[in-house]
Amino acid sequence: MSERAQDTGLALERTRLAWRRTALGLAAGSVAAGRLLQELVGPVSWLVTLLGLAAATLVVRVVLRRYASTAWRARGGGLVAAVAVGTAVIGAVALLVVLAGQARLV
Amino acid sequence: MSAARRHLAHQGRRTRVQIPRHGRARAGAQVSAVRDNGGVSPSPDRRRPAWVYSGGDEPDARFSLANERTFLAWVRTSLALLAGGVALEALDLPVEERLRLAASVVLVALGTVTPLLGWWGWARGERAMRRRTPLPAPIGFAVLVTGVLAAGVLVLLGLLLR
Repeated sequence: MSERAQDTGLALERTRLAWRRTALGLAAGSVAAGRLLQELVGPVSWLVTLLGLAAATLVVRVVLRRYASTAWRARGGGLVAAVAVGTAVIGAVALLVVLAGQARLV
Repeated sequence: MSAARRHLAHQGRRTRVQIPRHGRARAGAQVSAVRDNGGVSPSPDRRRPAWVYSGGDEPDARFSLANERTFLAWVRTSLALLAGGVALEALDLPVEERLRLAASVVLVALGTVTPLLGWWGWARGERAMRRRTPLPAPIGFAVLVTGVLAAGVLVLLGLLLR
């Protein structure tokens, strides 16, 4: 049975939207992180925001390409692993900031 | 082993030998080959992680997509945990300080672990679906529930003891 003939229905669209939601969360988080880190590292913190927004854009672009063809299966789990590791790294940095007692906004 | 199975095994071996020789530069060529095959790639193939893709055959596309969405839900959960944990400390809430820090650390640590748990679940699910074995029991639920519960109790105590 060829995959072309297989009707995936709206599953592809739902998955694309799920990626977008996730990227949007990352973008929103990086804006908040930039504001928060301003107290800690000064105006350079906006680099964090920029980096986060760039990463979110990259994810959306990669996903658009990933599902553009019927051969999306051929891509494997590289993107999934990259996103998992990236998020874990963000978490590790956040843990360091919190433990250092630097997460003070007010 | 039937003739058809032998033929498939032979095809698989040939694919496995050929693809590394072409390297990454020929990835496009492999994709078009996959498309010629109706989108179903030959297995075994060179997709990563190899321990996921090395055996079995392609599951229903919708199952793979649902698996991916589950992973993404874990990532979003992680982002929410991180935001909550950092906000707890950053917004100077009226909670006893040490308990607040403890809750914050629990939430942020949880947010660090959950994307990895999500990836682990994704990989195990994909592998099980390829091999037509029962889906593994969900992992990480106990960690997630225990952690969120602990953070909640810490904040509650912090509010009362303040």
